[in-house]
Amino acid sequence: MTVGLPEVRSAHGDEVLQAAGDSVLALRQRFGDSIGNARESSGQLWVVIANDRAHEILAWLRDDPGQQFNYLCDVTAVEYRDPELPLEVVYQVRSLPRGIDLRLKIEMDPEGDLEVESVTDLWAGANWLEREVYDMFGVRFRGHPDLRRILMWNTYDEGHPLRKSFPLRGHRSRSEQTRNALAANPEAHYTLEELSIVEAYHELPADVRERLVREGRVAQP
Amino acid sequence: MGLTPPPGPGEAPEYVESMSPNWVTTRLDFLANWARSNSLWPMPFGTACCAIEYMATAASRFDISRFGMERQSFSPRQADVLICAGRLPFKLAPVIRRIWDQMPQPKWAISMGACASSGGIFDNYAMVQGIDTIIPVDVYVPGCPPRPEGLLYGILMLQKKIQGESISDPSLRVEHLVGPDGLFRRPEQIDEVSEPFGNSVSQTRSG
Amino acid sequence: MLQPYIPILLLLVFVVANAVLMLGISQLLQTYRPTPVKSAAYESGMPALGDARERFSVKFYLVAMLFIVLDIETVFMIPWAVAFQQLASIRGVLLLEMLTFVAILAVGYVYLWKRGALQWD
Repeated sequence: MTVGLPEVRSAHGDEVLQAAGDSVLALRQRFGDSIGNARESSGQLWVVIANDRAHEILAWLRDDPGQQFNYLCDVTAVEYRDPELPLEVVYQVRSLPRGIDLRLKIEMDPEGDLEVESVTDLWAGANWLEREVYDMFGVRFRGHPDLRRILMWNTYDEGHPLRKSFPLRGHRSRSEQTRNALAANPEAHYTLEELSIVEAYHELPADVRERLVREGRVAQP
Repeated sequence: MGLTPPPGPGEAPEYVESMSPNWVTTRLDFLANWARSNSLWPMPFGTACCAIEYMATAASRFDISRFGMERQSFSPRQADVLICAGRLPFKLAPVIRRIWDQMPQPKWAISMGACASSGGIFDNYAMVQGIDTIIPVDVYVPGCPPRPEGLLYGILMLQKKIQGESISDPSLRVEHLVGPDGLFRRPEQIDEVSEPFGNSVSQTRSG
Repeated sequence: MLQPYIPILLLLVFVVANAVLMLGISQLLQTYRPTPVKSAAYESGMPALGDARERFSVKFYLVAMLFIVLDIETVFMIPWAVAFQQLASIRGVLLLEMLTFVAILAVGYVYLWKRGALQWD
């Protein structure tokens, strides 16, 4: 939907769109019913994919020599004002060798269970991006190594701020929020030992690392 | 010391006279105030856009060092005035409180910009609605961001305020700590100054 | 008799007076309000974690020790050079003497080189 802006189409833009369209066709051929609606928006193509095969689809997009979408630009989410529209988790991927972008959306029921498979094993950068989606929307990512809040502080308990059901100024009164903020001591939740283990983990010898993981002193990397 | 909350808006501070004013104390006052106001070392607590304007003020064109702010100290221990330039999220609130607490007396605070003074355009779940809910502020410099001339005017205003002080008034140098209820000001004061006004009143999210 | 030393005495008086005045006036005009948070260590607004006394790597000690040994060798060479210049008749013997000294230390140097003491990582 363009809002009164003149649509400037360039030949290069059309090529890119064509290439992205080819990728969508290839997706439909390979995954059939798991690929839903595909639309163009502002010169970019987005396509809906099913939640249960999302990880597989993204892995194929990354690894297939014809697709080569090796760069994950963003993982984000959007909840629309209209209650009929679903809550979408959006992946923006780019193919650096081919120079094209593609947007993939997973549609979910805003009232329902918000859970998606994590793609941190495909792209390491998804770690913080998914943490942001979790923090702001409450979408849980299965298999994420360290799913905790990233923008709000760890002990923030008012909810997930970018949901439509979350009031703009938060659930609590300003004085309560100020009190909670002043009392939130971020470093108190980790002991010095835990912090040094996490920091030095990659430098430790293998047997020490195994022992730490076995003893539960560090989360499974 | 300072477990009583500081005077809120509209309340006059108590003036405690520890010695009666005479020629010696007034001359000493003049000396101390002259020294303090003309050698205010700022601690720039720059968080956002106002920090850029602060940097511009500190640079050669507008130069705050000609007003005595020669050395900007990024450690609170060696600073006289905390200039909070930029919006303050709730996540950063304990940090600025701690930094304020670690500044030795005499200390002052300048709240630079709309966000530091009142929350600015960010009337939402994440931003502190004015740093005066967390630390005591001496001068508010409005603007988004204030022009360097505006900040300089605020600094001069602070200098004038310092020159009106007296070393025989210990109430000026009281450490206002966070109270046992975890707040610096009374809750009703915080709620009152944080209430939305102007356009913010109609800006809320449905549901 | 002690006339030329008067300026030094004056300087001393001024220095002491300056120091006393600076500290004295600060004590008189100071506002000292210690609080627990104020006296705590500074860590950019966060509560400081852990001890300030960290363990040092032993490599620093090793480097310092090697420096001392080889530096003393150099120090010995300096008066030897003066003697070498002055005792022109026994120059050959002196040279041999110094070469022996250097050779002994060179053996030690090769040993620590091969043992990897010069390798920082």
